[in-house]
Amino acid sequence: MKKDYKITCKDVMNHICDTLGEDLNSPTCTTLKSHLDSCESCQKYYKSISQTILVYKKYELDASSDSHKKLLKFLGLDDCE
Amino acid sequence: MNENEIIAKAQKGDRAALSKLVKMYEQTVYNFAYKICRDKEKAEHTMQETFLSMVKSINQFSGKSKLSTWLYTVVSNHCLMMARSNKKHAYISLDDEDALIDPKNITDWDIAPDKFAENKELGGILDEVIKKLAPEYRVVFMLRDIQGFSTEETAEAIGLSVPAVKSRLHRARAFLRNELNSTFGYEKRL
Repeated sequence: MKKDYKITCKDVMNHICDTLGEDLNSPTCTTLKSHLDSCESCQKYYKSISQTILVYKKYELDASSDSHKKLLKFLGLDDCE
Repeated sequence: MNENEIIAKAQKGDRAALSKLVKMYEQTVYNFAYKICRDKEKAEHTMQETFLSMVKSINQFSGKSKLSTWLYTVVSNHCLMMARSNKKHAYISLDDEDALIDPKNITDWDIAPDKFAENKELGGILDEVIKKLAPEYRVVFMLRDIQGFSTEETAEAIGLSVPAVKSRLHRARAFLRNELNSTFGYEKRL
């Protein structure tokens, strides 16, 4: 990215979506990172995207014991319990 | 006995070892299948088909990748196949990138992720929101962001190019974030 390119919050928000979890220190990210460091709006967006990922990571559902029994029966392994 | 030793036994036809592998990964596979299918019966069916594939082809498993990686690949493709065969549901188009990010719609979020698992109401909201996302986006989001696959591993698992994975991931993240904004965002907009 050229240094004289005037970036907008939208550019940064797009980039956050592209690079979250990747290397924000790469040369092409430097200008965007500098904007992010000083822009409250983009920081809030970054935080909300990170939290979106986090809540889906935390949300777990377990298979029931009935599902477990059906699975072993389906595979013909129910005698291995 | 470590996982490689159990796999080696299973490859020699030891059914108890196979059963052990199933038990080791059934919750992981079910959870992942549910997050993509959003339906208990479909998740159960996908779990069964995934482990059937494992039982049938455990001899071909070379150990170059982790067994979990291989299982995620199988379950992802089962989910996508099932979604393709059921095209009745129309999903919101994510083609318009400009509509996905609106700088005027940025709010501070207030959530406590650690308490999230105990909150059934919020779990229901997460279900409803991700159901709106087309399965081909869901799978990318799940593999890359939730399971921690690299972009390249995600691309390989579901037969997409790296740019296609990046594009889908970008749109999936922005879409989910927008949909959850009314639940987690403060009322005061910037």
